[in-house]
Amino acid sequence: MATLSVRARTANWRLGKRRASPARLLGRGSRLTMWAGILLGLAVYVLFGLVPAIANVAVSFTNYALYPGAPINFTGWSNYTSMFTTERPGFIQALIATVVFVTAVTVLQNLIALAVAHRLVGDSRWNGVLRVFVFLPIVLGVTIVGLVWILFFEPGQGPAASLWGLFGAHSSFFGSAGLALPLVIFVQVWQNIGFSCMVFIGGLKSISPEIYEAAEIDGVSRWQRLRRLTFPMLAPAVSVNVLLAVVGSFTTYNLIYVLTAGQYGTMTLGMLSFDAAFVDSNLGYGAAVGTVLFAMTFVVALPLMMYLRGRERRLLT
Amino acid sequence: MTGSALAGRTSTAGTTGMRGTSGAAVLRRKRRLSRLLTGILIAVLFLAPVLYVVMIAFETPTHFLTSPMTPPSSAHLSNFSQGWTGADLATELVNTVIYSVVASAVSTVLALLIAYPLGRRLVRGHGALYALLAAGLFLPLAIIPLFIEARILHLYDNMPGYIILHIEPGLPLGVVVLTAFVLAIPVELDEAAWLDGTSYLGYLGRVIVPLIRPALLITFLYGMLGVWNDIIGPVVLLGATSTNLFPITRGIYTFYGQNESAYTVFAAALVIASLPLVLLFAGTQRQLVRAAIAGSVKG
Repeated sequence: MATLSVRARTANWRLGKRRASPARLLGRGSRLTMWAGILLGLAVYVLFGLVPAIANVAVSFTNYALYPGAPINFTGWSNYTSMFTTERPGFIQALIATVVFVTAVTVLQNLIALAVAHRLVGDSRWNGVLRVFVFLPIVLGVTIVGLVWILFFEPGQGPAASLWGLFGAHSSFFGSAGLALPLVIFVQVWQNIGFSCMVFIGGLKSISPEIYEAAEIDGVSRWQRLRRLTFPMLAPAVSVNVLLAVVGSFTTYNLIYVLTAGQYGTMTLGMLSFDAAFVDSNLGYGAAVGTVLFAMTFVVALPLMMYLRGRERRLLT
Repeated sequence: MTGSALAGRTSTAGTTGMRGTSGAAVLRRKRRLSRLLTGILIAVLFLAPVLYVVMIAFETPTHFLTSPMTPPSSAHLSNFSQGWTGADLATELVNTVIYSVVASAVSTVLALLIAYPLGRRLVRGHGALYALLAAGLFLPLAIIPLFIEARILHLYDNMPGYIILHIEPGLPLGVVVLTAFVLAIPVELDEAAWLDGTSYLGYLGRVIVPLIRPALLITFLYGMLGVWNDIIGPVVLLGATSTNLFPITRGIYTFYGQNESAYTVFAAALVIASLPLVLLFAGTQRQLVRAAIAGSVKG
C-alpha cells in the first residue's frame, strides 16, 4: 500500500523540474553494476511475484492436481461453471461468509481503531506504553495470536468458558457453527487494530493544535470541531485504513487457517481456495476460486479507492 | 467513543478559557477519570489473553484442570522444558532466524539496488518501472502457482528454496519506502562523488546506506517479521515429514494439533515461541511504531 508521505513525495518528484540525467557521469563499469542490480531485483520480482499472479489464471483452466505425475488437462471453464452447481457445494456459502467477514472487519476495525487512536494521540509516557500494547499483536503474528485465542476460548477450562458458565451457558466457541465466524472476525480485528490505530494517530497528529485553539476561541462547539475539523482532516488516514482493511480481509485467510481451518461457517473464499488446492488436492479449482476472489477484490477496491480519493478532495478543500 | 475522544483531544489542546473555576475543576477530574478508565480498558483488552497464557504456562496440569483461573501458588517450570523438547523449539528457532534474517536482508539489498537508480532517474522508463514494482503491493499472494513453480524449480521442501521463495514479498514495499528516502538526499552529493570516480557500489555503501539507515532498518524489520510470522508458506512449501525444516510457526501449530489436551505444556511452548519476538519488539518498538504512525509502511 503506497502511503501518505510516500504519495506526497512522489507527487513532488513528478512535478519537480526534470534535470539532465546524471547517469552520464557514471563510468562504464558503474553503469554495468547498476543494471546488474536492477535486473537481479526485477528478476526476483517477476519470477516469484508477477508470474505466479498471472499463472493463477492459467492454472484455473486446468485440472492440475496436487500430486506430481497426474495428467494435466485443459478443462475450459468447467472450474468456474461448477462453482454454482451441486458438484461443488460451498462456493455460495463461502461467498456469503466473505461478504460478512469483509464488511464486519472493515467497519469494526476502523471504528475501534479510531476510538483508540483518539485516546492515544497525546505523547504522554503512558500513551507510549499503551501504543506498544496495541501494536503487540502485529509483531506476534497470526500463528501466536491465533493460538493464544484458541487457549482463551478453550471450551473446557478457558476463561471465556468460565465467563459463559456464570450465565449457565456453554459453547464450543471456535467449534460452534453460530459463534465461530463472529469470533474469527473479533480476532482478525484484534490482530490488525494496532496498525490502523497508528495510521489514525498519524492523521490526528497532522492536525495542528493551533487550529483547535483558534476554533475554541471563536466559540465553535466541541461537536462542531469534531465534525468540521477532525473528521475532514482525517480523510487521508480513513482512505488508507479502509482500503487496507477491505483488501486485507478479502485476501488473507492465514488467521482463519490457524483458528478453524475454515470449519464451522468460517470458510471464506480465500480459505476455500487454499482448502480446495491443498486439502482436496485440486489445484485447478483452487486457482479458479482465487481468480474469482481477485476479480471481486479488484471490482470492490477500485471504485472504493476512487470514491475515497474524491472524498478527500471534497473534504479538504 | 465520542466521549473519550473529546476528552483526549481537549486535554491535549488545553482548556485555557475555563481554568480556575470550580466547575472546570470537576470537569477536569471527570475527564482524568475517564482517561484512566479507557486506558485501563485498552491495556486489559490487549494484554489479558497474553497474560492468561503466561499464567497457565506456570500451572501444573492438575491445577489447570481443577482451578485454571487462579494463579499457581508456585511456578511450575517443567512445562517449559517439556514444551522446549516436545515441540523441538531449538531447531525451529534456528530455522526461523536463518529464513527471516537471510531472506529479508537479501530483499532489502535488492530493494536498495532498484530504489536508488529509480529515485535518481538513472534509467529510462524509471516511472513505469516504479509503477510496476509498486503494483506488487496489490498483487494477490498466488500460493497455488507459487507451489507449482517451487516444485518445478526444485525450491520445494528445502532450506535454500524456502529462503529464495521468501525474498519477493518484501520487495515492493522496500522499493516504495527506499525510493522516497533516496529522493530526500541531495543530488549534488552523487555528482561530487562520481566526478571523483567513486565506484557505484562503493558510493551506495559508503554514502547512501548511512544516510538512509533508518529506512533500511524499517524495510528489513518489516520484511523479517513477514517471513518470521508466515504460516501459509511453511504449510505449502515444506513437506509434512520435513519437521527438521519447520519454522517456529508451523512447528508450534503442529505441536498444538498433537497435544490438544496438554494445555499447560502447550502454553509454555507458546510463551517460548513469543519471547524472541517480544525481545525484538522491545528493542525496536520506537522504529516500528513510529514508522506505522508516519504511514511509511503497510501492515
